[in-house]
Amino acid sequence: MSKAACHHQWTMTNVRPGYLVIEGCFHCRNRISFFSEEAVAPIDDYHEGEHFWSHLSHYQAAQFDLKCEKCDAEVPLKDVMALMLCTKCDPNCGCYAAAIQEPDKKTWVYAALCANTSHSPNKCIAPESLRALNEYFNQGTKDPAKKIAVVPCSLRKSVDTCQGIVLADFGLTDLY
Amino acid sequence: MKVSELVTKTGLKTFNEGADKEIMGVYISDMVSDIVGMKEGNLLITLQTHKNLIAAANLVDVAAVVFSRNRTPADDVVALANKAGIRLLGYDGDTWSLAKKLCELKIA
Repeated sequence: MSKAACHHQWTMTNVRPGYLVIEGCFHCRNRISFFSEEAVAPIDDYHEGEHFWSHLSHYQAAQFDLKCEKCDAEVPLKDVMALMLCTKCDPNCGCYAAAIQEPDKKTWVYAALCANTSHSPNKCIAPESLRALNEYFNQGTKDPAKKIAVVPCSLRKSVDTCQGIVLADFGLTDLY
Repeated sequence: MKVSELVTKTGLKTFNEGADKEIMGVYISDMVSDIVGMKEGNLLITLQTHKNLIAAANLVDVAAVVFSRNRTPADDVVALANKAGIRLLGYDGDTWSLAKKLCELKIA
């Protein structure tokens, strides 16, 4: 079967445990995140061009890719740092708008978080990554009224006021 | 087996009224990043009572969540589970003894 014509049946593959590391620049006040597969999360400050990145926090997390069981198509999801459940805290936010798009459905919006919260390079999660994530998280649901909508985090109005729930393991590494 | 039948047979505590889903299997984990990889329809047994556990459980469409070792979820956790229609249950004993019970009931 050609990959283009396939009705994909996605499965998780290449699951990589590690850390979601968040850094901030005191100069431009931007925040970035990256995924580290090192045994201990890196916490060093460093200088990069006009940025001075300092460690803000890190959480145990996992990255994964998706693979179709039928056609072997694979979607790498290295650009997805984590998923975050939208709590519909701000009616002016793009994630809120995505949650109320289909009134006949109970839509749960999960923002796929990319590495750069400022989106200054005008870049967020790739459309093919979002498409595969949406298909994966909706393919098994038994409730026809329920819909999982995975959206890019660039829809989020403000990283500072957002009350979304990030799917990462908070607090487990606080002992270190 | 439905969640309601499991509650009747095992005497699990109930923290809310959620959907009475069919239990397709059992998954034991205390890590949100691990739960995201679960198959849908599983009964999730955990020690974690944090709200982000419910966010993950909703994403993978769990049959219900059981908090072992007498853990009790906070009100905001129950409220989020209610919105998601996720049944929250409690077990006084440890996870292993619950797992054995579930095996005896041929759920796992």
